[in-house]
Amino acid sequence: MSAPTIADTAPGTTEAGAPALRVVVVNGSPNEQSKTMGLVGVVLDTLGGMLPIETSRIDVYRLGPGFTEATERDEVTPEVDATIRLAEEADLLISATPVYRGSYPGMFKHFFDLVDQYALANKPVLLAATGGTDRHALVLEHALRPLFGFFQALTVPVAFFGSAGDFDGTTLLNPSVYGRIEMGLNDVVGVLRERRGLGR
Amino acid sequence: MPFELGIMTFGEVTEDLATGALPSPRQRVRETIEQAQVADQVGLDVFGVGEHHRTDFVGSAPTILLAAAAERTETIKLTSSVTVLSSEDPVRVWEQFATIDLLSAGRAEIIAGRGSYTESFPLFGYDMKDYADLFREKLDLLLKIREQNPITWQGRFRPALVDADIGPRADGDTIPVWVGVGGSPASAVSTGRLGLPMALALLLGPITTHVPTLEHYRAAAAEAGHDVNALPVSINTHGFVGRSSQHARDTMYPYFAKGMLENNHQRGEGFLIPRAAFDAQSSPRAGLLVGSAQEVIDKLLAYHELYGLNRAIIQMGFGGVPQKEHLEAIERLGTEVAPVVRREVAAQERSAA
Repeated sequence: MSAPTIADTAPGTTEAGAPALRVVVVNGSPNEQSKTMGLVGVVLDTLGGMLPIETSRIDVYRLGPGFTEATERDEVTPEVDATIRLAEEADLLISATPVYRGSYPGMFKHFFDLVDQYALANKPVLLAATGGTDRHALVLEHALRPLFGFFQALTVPVAFFGSAGDFDGTTLLNPSVYGRIEMGLNDVVGVLRERRGLGR
Repeated sequence: MPFELGIMTFGEVTEDLATGALPSPRQRVRETIEQAQVADQVGLDVFGVGEHHRTDFVGSAPTILLAAAAERTETIKLTSSVTVLSSEDPVRVWEQFATIDLLSAGRAEIIAGRGSYTESFPLFGYDMKDYADLFREKLDLLLKIREQNPITWQGRFRPALVDADIGPRADGDTIPVWVGVGGSPASAVSTGRLGLPMALALLLGPITTHVPTLEHYRAAAAEAGHDVNALPVSINTHGFVGRSSQHARDTMYPYFAKGMLENNHQRGEGFLIPRAAFDAQSSPRAGLLVGSAQEVIDKLLAYHELYGLNRAIIQMGFGGVPQKEHLEAIERLGTEVAPVVRREVAAQERSAA
């Protein structure tokens, strides 16, 4: 497996010495470069402009056999266990995935099948997805939100969707998606400010 | 900006539905040039040939057809519609269009597109994974060749150019380069940022479908510091000017439905558009430019009002409309539709000024 990548956002001291918000992205795309991560990149840039953040990313397709061969949490390798724990201990979890066959890919669900049942309770979770056309947009509400409903997570009310035509390669260009991200994050920035360092 | 009207073709080689006869490719290339000739004679502004790399079209090398058309026409502008730039060498594209520009005394234009049909990618050894990067890089090179000579340039997809002398140069100052946009917001934004004229391809749907696309385009252009009012916008769309409403629809429908089979899939199979759906697409609030001369005038003016258009290029032979019918439609477009639309748009612009 490749270790989760820790982005180089300064862990920085912030106003009044509050720690940065620990953001963990769970990435359901199998591709090195993806529209899904293009969309998340905009979310992180926008969020980073609102408060200090420290970002990690978990690529579920790159966790390897220590992940794919496990059917229960206690069967995963120590490295994979640490990666799952990273998600469980985030201040904000970003759950981002492409739509495959009408829903999130099985590999993405497998990750959450190994997450502790109560680890995400009351944890801010932001939902993002990409699909070939706008017909897939409701995957956010009909597939992703119920998954985090099970976990009793605090999902961000506005979820973010990008369809293929919104991107030039993996670069998001559609201004209305930018606007929606700005609005959705503004809704919860107060909550997120209070949650800094409270993830674990 | 004066309003321009034109026609385009893919050079379809498909059977005449009345006789079942398949035209020979030789016949179709001659007919294509004849369409350009008639369009020129009736005073239309633009003639376009689209690129398709298959045996059911004779349009795989649009520049050669345009060069032949240059020899038979006097004033009409000659454009690709579109050049699939992503799978071309921009140096060669420039050389060919500059040559057409000389042959035609400055009438050559390029509409550069990503390619709605992607047959040319494997044919010329390009990877669909690079779809976006290919277009960005090749458009960049084409624009630089247009701007400066000699040129020094470096990119990912072709060998670097070092002080390269690329000719011939344009007949006049420049060759217009438009960007063909299928309607995705991202393409509109990137075209606007570059400050290039946009040729918007419209297929089916409400006439208002691309109002947001135009807004994205103009907002991106303004943000990048371009003069939005100086940027021409064109629509490329399907249509047919008939003797009457009914004649236009009856003539266009069977060919259009057949031509659309490949673009209109249900469960992975080509699906014939029902006549009722076609008639709905022909109504005043839908996009197709089909009908009597008066109907087409009304719809072009509606498009102009909605989109602030400067040009419309209509594809009237799609699906292989027989040459006789096609030429008559071109004649009606040039003699009955174009003068009224040009006059009305000019009057509106005068009263707005």
